[in-house]
Amino acid sequence: MNKSNLFIDGTAGDKGIMLGNEAIARGALEAGVGYASMYPGTPASEIIAALDKNKGNIKDLYTEFSLNEHVSLHGAVGASWSGVRALCAMKNVGLNVASEPAQFLSYTGVKAGLVIAVGSDPGATSSSNEQDDRWYSMHTYMPIIEPSNIQEAKDYTRDAFDISEEFSFGIVLIASSRLCHNAGVLYFGDLRDRNINGDFKKDPENYLNLFNMAVKNHAKYLKQNELLKNYLAESRFNKIINENSSKVGFISSGVIYAHLMEAMDVLNIYDHRILKLGFTFPISNELLNKFFDGLDEVVIVEEAEGFLEFQIKKIAYELGFRGVIHGKDIFKQTGELTLDDVISGVGKFLEKPLPVFFDFAVKRDKELQGILPSRSGTFCIGCSHRATFYSILKAVGFSNTEAKERDVVIAGDIGCYTLGLLPPYNAMDFLTCMNAGLGIGQAISIFDKKKKVIALVGDSTFYHSGIPVLLNAVQNGANVLYIILDNSWTAMTGHQKTPSTQRDVDGTPYSNPLNLKELIKSLGVTYIKSLDPNSVKRFALHVKSALKEQGVKVLIAKRECILQEIRRNKLLKKKDAAAMKTTSSFYEIQKLRCVKCNECFVELACPAIILKKDENEDMEYYYIDPVSCVKCGVCYEVCPNSAIRKVEFGSKLNLSKKISNKEVNGLSGINV
Amino acid sequence: MKRFNIAIIGLGGQGIITMGTVLKNAALNSDSQEVSGSERRGGAQREGYVETFVKYIFYENESEPNDSRRNMHSPMIEAGGANVLISLEPIETLRGARYLNENSIVIFNERPYIPISVRMGQASYPDISFIVSELRKITKNIFFYDLDKISTDNFNSLTQRNIIALGILFAKTSIPISPKTIENILLEGKSAEAFNLGLNF
Repeated sequence: MNKSNLFIDGTAGDKGIMLGNEAIARGALEAGVGYASMYPGTPASEIIAALDKNKGNIKDLYTEFSLNEHVSLHGAVGASWSGVRALCAMKNVGLNVASEPAQFLSYTGVKAGLVIAVGSDPGATSSSNEQDDRWYSMHTYMPIIEPSNIQEAKDYTRDAFDISEEFSFGIVLIASSRLCHNAGVLYFGDLRDRNINGDFKKDPENYLNLFNMAVKNHAKYLKQNELLKNYLAESRFNKIINENSSKVGFISSGVIYAHLMEAMDVLNIYDHRILKLGFTFPISNELLNKFFDGLDEVVIVEEAEGFLEFQIKKIAYELGFRGVIHGKDIFKQTGELTLDDVISGVGKFLEKPLPVFFDFAVKRDKELQGILPSRSGTFCIGCSHRATFYSILKAVGFSNTEAKERDVVIAGDIGCYTLGLLPPYNAMDFLTCMNAGLGIGQAISIFDKKKKVIALVGDSTFYHSGIPVLLNAVQNGANVLYIILDNSWTAMTGHQKTPSTQRDVDGTPYSNPLNLKELIKSLGVTYIKSLDPNSVKRFALHVKSALKEQGVKVLIAKRECILQEIRRNKLLKKKDAAAMKTTSSFYEIQKLRCVKCNECFVELACPAIILKKDENEDMEYYYIDPVSCVKCGVCYEVCPNSAIRKVEFGSKLNLSKKISNKEVNGLSGINV
Repeated sequence: MKRFNIAIIGLGGQGIITMGTVLKNAALNSDSQEVSGSERRGGAQREGYVETFVKYIFYENESEPNDSRRNMHSPMIEAGGANVLISLEPIETLRGARYLNENSIVIFNERPYIPISVRMGQASYPDISFIVSELRKITKNIFFYDLDKISTDNFNSLTQRNIIALGILFAKTSIPISPKTIENILLEGKSAEAFNLGLNF
């Protein structure tokens, strides 16, 4: 058999390079998963994306990019109760949205195995907080399994389905972004058969929870939790290394355990007892009793506030352990705990000198970070969000370069457009969770009559949970301009489709795209306009006039994500050779007309506009880099001096030639 | 057990992640028994800092792969732990200098991408000579090229810039896997040409 795609064809004996997220998805496949869903969210998105993009070649697999985590987890519950194994993935904050179904999962229990894969984000590199979702299990009682590497990501996911069925819990699998986005060798196992012929059987004892029925089920799952603890006293998921030596023992889990093992190697320490916890909730008293035996000190190495430390100190008290337990007195509570943090922490605690090369590198780094200009991400070149922010800021009379108080409150929300809160736009006054913008903005508009309120939201975020927020604003007389930045995709997480998506990237039209304008009208909004944000002057005028009106006003900034548009054009051009030869164009800044007013370079701040040095080096000028420019034309429109011009020519020009300004200017047959 | 650690850094959209993926896939056809290394990619952070690590692991005897103290590898590289640092943007090279030691080899692209802070006049962008002199305080093994120009001159696009850098990696360092393993992955076309171009530096 030709195994061109190991993700679906791999069997025991095969190995391949997989991402942590793909390994989780593969583990679910090996367990015979039939239902897989998520609302996309970094760092977890590839878990379901890997299954979804291959589902045409996988027999009996249902996948869904759900509108939010709440429905996504309920879908998984329904599949489980129908006898179909279910995987539901989400990012850290997704569990907040899914917390209600999660609270009920232990009351009702599961039928077929159910695994909730959570991508956590310590350091918040792609999130608006760095919450540790493990704390939820203190009240949901969902057991937590934590893989440390790619192999365990697959194996633990596969095994979690069995344990879910055996103890009737939904199992939470926690993978931090370091594991989700770690790529490495994965050894495959065999695939189990998939059962998707559902058969929902009534089970009122478990599924009905009202009054005393709920109380009875509360007792049931507490008992199940004790049974699971007994199982975990001896299970292969938790292991003690170096059982017989040392007075100091270390406890860790997940990726931090991998850091710990490598830190020990870097520090040349090989003789301490170590407990690796595969299950971090519940923790067995019996297991800890065995581990504590003979130890004077215990060091818990973990990220965030100390979820393990909290549990282990309680158990130590119950066991009467008299040693000292360290944890957050050594390791930081905020930000990502890195390999370096573990090396430094363990080294200092054991009074082992840090390796010279390590010490030197850390010091050098500190010196350098102070002198480097900071760098933050921004919108892609040609992104219509850049135009939207530019227009909004112009409409409210704000410039990036002058510091003055805006009399407009701009409410932020979650998506690509969140990058608008960064310099140079600084265009958000607050940012928390999904659809907080309009909700908070509504109340500000009621209580602060001196300021106008603009609330921003993306299409995917709006569909996630924005409809009730908008309806609430309309029903309660808010005075807000609500701008929906509709780019037709959940772009930030890798372009999953939204109800707004009209056409797939290959051009195939979707059968039922939603009419957003009609939906909003039906919610009682009377002031509603759909506009192209790349027409910045027109868009800014509409923002201005909308702000003069009372009540809830909606502007839809409608333009498809430029990346998808470019991808589709490329695909279509490949199919159509003639299209390759059609007219081409580019934009250029005419040196002599440009007065460096900074409208394009700083206010719009498109990264394709760069600063160049003249050949004789005595003059710097602005220049549109033709290699990176995608010809959105927004700079052309913002230039107040008509210094930017559009150049069209008949045939496709060699790019390296385009780079040289001289040759471009010397071309014949240019239409300006 | 021996490790060979490569840190690759640059900006979102430069193909940093792809470089890591190619190097990791190459490990499947080599003597390296294990490969690890995570990425920092964050949402849609175009022009933001991106890094990926590639750690080749060579076990030296039969027992090591089954030894709990030897067979677990962090997805990160420790400070001073990189054999090679490849950077596709000059000042980001200094941000990645954390991974360097006196024997490390640095390969970087000298084409600056001006960050917003400089664009707004809040900071200035250092000269290449400053970057090189700061790196020299750590290691003498420094190679830098205008990879943007080399890529557009040869391939009429920037998309091969990262693959050319991979070729240079094999030309200038003692990376313990064969360039053949890369050629098997890139197969043919522009990418294979770009790799060979770098290989001959």
